Amino acid sequence: MTGRQQQAAEALASVAGKPSDVASESTGLPVLPALQGLLPMLRRGQVVEVDGSGALSLALLAGASQSGSWCGVVGMPEGGMLAASEMGCDLDRLLLVDHPGDRWVDVTAALLEAVDVVLLRPPVRPQTGVVRRLVALARKSGSMLIAAGAWEGSSVRLRVESSLWTGLEHGHGHLRGRRVKIVAEGRGAGGRPRSAWVWLPGPDGSVSPAELAVVHDSAEVA
Amino acid sequence: MTAPRALVVWCPDWPLTAAGTDPAVPALVLASGRVSACTAAARATGVRRGQRLRDAQRYCPDVAVLDEDPEGETRAFEQVVAVIEQSCPRVEVIRPGLAAVPARGPSRYFGGEEIVAGMVRDAVLERDFVCAVGVADGTFAADLAARAAFEADDGIRLVPSASTAGFLAPHPVPVLEMPELAGVLVRLGIRTLGDLAALSMRDVLGRFGSEGAVAHRLATGLEARPPAARSPGDDLSAQFEFDPPIDQSEPAVFAAKSLADLMHAKLGERGLACVRVEVEVSTADGQSRSRLWRHDGLLSSLAVAERVRWQLDAWRTAGQLTGSLTHLTLAPDQVVIDTGRQLTLWGQTENDEEVSRAATRIQVMLGHTAVTRPRLAGGRGPSEQVARVPWGDTAIAALPADRPWPGRVPQPAPAVVHPAPLPVRLVDASGTSVTVSGRSVVSAPPSRLVLGKEHLAVTGWTGPWPVREYWWDRSRSRRCARFQVATDDGRAWLLVVEQGEWFAEATYT
Repeated sequence: MTGRQQQAAEALASVAGKPSDVASESTGLPVLPALQGLLPMLRRGQVVEVDGSGALSLALLAGASQSGSWCGVVGMPEGGMLAASEMGCDLDRLLLVDHPGDRWVDVTAALLEAVDVVLLRPPVRPQTGVVRRLVALARKSGSMLIAAGAWEGSSVRLRVESSLWTGLEHGHGHLRGRRVKIVAEGRGAGGRPRSAWVWLPGPDGSVSPAELAVVHDSAEVA
Repeated sequence: MTAPRALVVWCPDWPLTAAGTDPAVPALVLASGRVSACTAAARATGVRRGQRLRDAQRYCPDVAVLDEDPEGETRAFEQVVAVIEQSCPRVEVIRPGLAAVPARGPSRYFGGEEIVAGMVRDAVLERDFVCAVGVADGTFAADLAARAAFEADDGIRLVPSASTAGFLAPHPVPVLEMPELAGVLVRLGIRTLGDLAALSMRDVLGRFGSEGAVAHRLATGLEARPPAARSPGDDLSAQFEFDPPIDQSEPAVFAAKSLADLMHAKLGERGLACVRVEVEVSTADGQSRSRLWRHDGLLSSLAVAERVRWQLDAWRTAGQLTGSLTHLTLAPDQVVIDTGRQLTLWGQTENDEEVSRAATRIQVMLGHTAVTRPRLAGGRGPSEQVARVPWGDTAIAALPADRPWPGRVPQPAPAVVHPAPLPVRLVDASGTSVTVSGRSVVSAPPSRLVLGKEHLAVTGWTGPWPVREYWWDRSRSRRCARFQVATDDGRAWLLVVEQGEWFAEATYT
């Protein structure tokens, strides 16, 4: 099975290589090749909303982090940094503020001015004023915000629709990978919701496409 | 041009004295894996500074191991410094356990170096601290004299100005505390300070650079660096006024960091370095305290800020500083010409300036440990495999990650690692808790995972993976078993069972 998976990954890499070249020329930050079908790039000044603080939010950081951007993570003491590093995050360029308390808005603002991507889990549902202030700051400083939780006015919303872990039997085996269906909706996703099946994570912790159909889809889009 | 007379008070094995250990009990202090201090009883069995813990435990199996605690040491040493200060002003703390004072003034006032040394020794002994006092030309020689004095009956050693070079000559080269240089010198057959002093200054400087020159100056009984002649008008100190006055030490420590930056910049643009830095604070109720710390042009701004933190902490604990702080001043004391320092070619990565500014800003808001960077570390569980290192700190005492860790939880790693494991229940089909026997036999296949009010059906499980860690160390020893469990909501869990209690250590989500 892994052989076929590998083939699929290679096929996708050859196709996905082209749009990513285009993306890097414009003012965007790259995303992992497996996620490019959903979101070709992270546009600067944009807010992406992700449900929950799981693997998907860390996977979004990985693409930008790999390409040399500094990333900040606010309010996620439970973030599994080993998983992030397996997905491709460069831990040397990661700043963690685990317990910002009441100052989370100020902390996020300070980080938005300095780093490229900030992953934030707001402790409460943010008020409209706060949302407006942070979005304006992101736009001004050319950084982008990933909100792990509800965020009014986000341009793309990513969520995991179905997820299945493989590798566990009754009493033996170990977790090998999780095949998930990710759905992207919202203004930035281009009108209709798009979906993709990916291994999040695969057996070595990395993110790879989990269905050949995705390769065709993204080829059409490109 | 000889060095000014200095009086050094040495309290042997200070880290252990500060921790309240009896010298008759074998104990040692461990700093980054090596012995940094040990009691007399431990030394008698063969334990030495710089040994690995394993070697030390081979010599002395029942030795008590303590962790390094620089703040506690400073706090305790404050008592000694306060006692010395009663007879001699301008006490300089070289490090906790070692203090120096200029001997000339007090000896003229009290009528002789021997009288002053005796007074200081008696005053420290009265507070129940063991000490030895040495007086010689320069702090380096006085330090060695104090160590020699410890062997003597009365605990005092005076080295007259004329015989300082003769006193230094028989000491072995490693007392310079320049391990790399000492290694080379010993291999060249230069084993004592006398051998080194016999060489010409020019040759030593030509062969070993400024570090060699410092060593040569010390070996001949001079100060480490020539004093710098400068116009007295220059104000090299840096001052900060707190308005409104502050009660906590954290903001003062951050102010100290920027003050140290400013002071280093002022010194740097004149090509100078300072031997000591004076930390001075004043409070709203009119108190003022100051203390000298050894600097030698080697401390970074962060290291200076750290010393300010220790010092404020020590003063507050001793009750010598009660009001809110209004002023903080850092002043360079005894300015010398900066001979430069070679940075290592690799391994000192520069951080992005903007990022470092933002990180410092957040540290000012939330405290030093609030901003961290993840580092991979060694361990079996997911929480042990990542260490969070505060921004600006480099040294971590984490276990190496690149070793085989048999029994490590296999890849992929969980995306959510709970900072505190969540208590859960794992029950079988009949509703009773699943148990694991001492021989790793599971009582019944699990069928449901109970997480607070949530009941999740188990779709797949594996385990137990027994873990038996640090069985040789009672405080860290751990015996548990791990399970991976997948539930019907698409999540999977890393569960751990320890003494019959189930916890969710991490969630694969």
